Amino acid sequence: MAKFYDMDDIITDEEVVSVVFEKAACGVGIDPSSETDSVEVGSKVELPFWLAHELHLRQAVSMNVPTCFDQKTKLEIQADSACVDLRSRCPFFYEFGCKIAPLVGVRTIGPLLLSAFKSRYKEVLTKAHTAAFSAASKHLTILTKEETNLYEAAQSSMTAFKRWRMGGPRFQRASVLGRKRKSTN
Amino acid sequence: MAGQSDPHQSLFSAEEVEFIAEDEMVEIIPNLRMDALNFICGDFGPFFPQIATQVPLWLAVALKKRGKCTIRPPQWMSVEKLTQVLEAERDSQRMFEQLPFHYIEISRLLFDHARDDIPDVYMVRSLIEDIRDVRFHKVETNLETLTERAFALKINNLSAMEVNIVRPFVGRALQAFYKHDSLELIPDQERVSDRRPQVANNATRRHLRR
Repeated sequence: MAKFYDMDDIITDEEVVSVVFEKAACGVGIDPSSETDSVEVGSKVELPFWLAHELHLRQAVSMNVPTCFDQKTKLEIQADSACVDLRSRCPFFYEFGCKIAPLVGVRTIGPLLLSAFKSRYKEVLTKAHTAAFSAASKHLTILTKEETNLYEAAQSSMTAFKRWRMGGPRFQRASVLGRKRKSTN
Repeated sequence: MAGQSDPHQSLFSAEEVEFIAEDEMVEIIPNLRMDALNFICGDFGPFFPQIATQVPLWLAVALKKRGKCTIRPPQWMSVEKLTQVLEAERDSQRMFEQLPFHYIEISRLLFDHARDDIPDVYMVRSLIEDIRDVRFHKVETNLETLTERAFALKINNLSAMEVNIVRPFVGRALQAFYKHDSLELIPDQERVSDRRPQVANNATRRHLRR
């Protein structure tokens, strides 16, 4: 329940999953390409995750592996995970994978996530604290939201430290006080 | 702390770490006579000319600004000691040298306010900068060893400012590793049977008073 109000969690739930309907559904306009309002057994539909999850709990659908976790991505990650552009596939790669993994029959998503994160983490680490902004911008575009969080945490603490080291006034005058103060009596 | 720090990152700002560092005791040599000063945290003095006294750093800086004393630099801040420390840092890959917990903050305060009291101030300054760079590089190398089995990380002899810089990053990285390593994601037969022993994370525990 701690994630109920979390913005990232809500957006993660919007990711699209393709499902296969086990039971027929009448009177719902889910599939825009079909002629009628109902969905037949065995038809494949693209649904957002929150809807697919609820229907899965009611055993009305069975979920397929989403496109961002398919074989092609898996091969790319095993080849060189640091350069794979995960953000264009799915900006919430890890969170979505954690949610999907117990629901889909395939058991390889978990280890895939772990190995991808491990090797990309090293890349993030070496660039996080020290790289100048221009050098890292190309690398930044391929990080998922979670990795970007990590990166920005390190960056902000480093810039705060550098700013402190430069010196400068320790106490800043609050802007609401205005420039000059006159006594009112 | 409520106004300055970012609560989501659980970070002390650099100024706050400096504020805590100002409680360290240094030796001053007053150049006038003054009665004892009574503060809430303790009494200091009475001060006699040319007699060395131990006071907290904040009081020393305040007296120095009014021209009432000269600050004697601490023992560890001599060129010979710092060169030794730098050599030792460069030689070992994983071990950190024993340095005062707040050495970065103390050295910066002394450079700002008591520059004429430190012999060879430029040499000392560049040595401390080098030591800081080497240590931080070592911290990054150590962090690369975080794997999926790591629940905690122990690094000895890290100073307050260095800990403060890496704290949000390490916290989030450890959380992410923990999340990805949970039982339901990885089937049992794929787990490695030997586990490395884990120790408590001493590095990020802040000591307010030693």
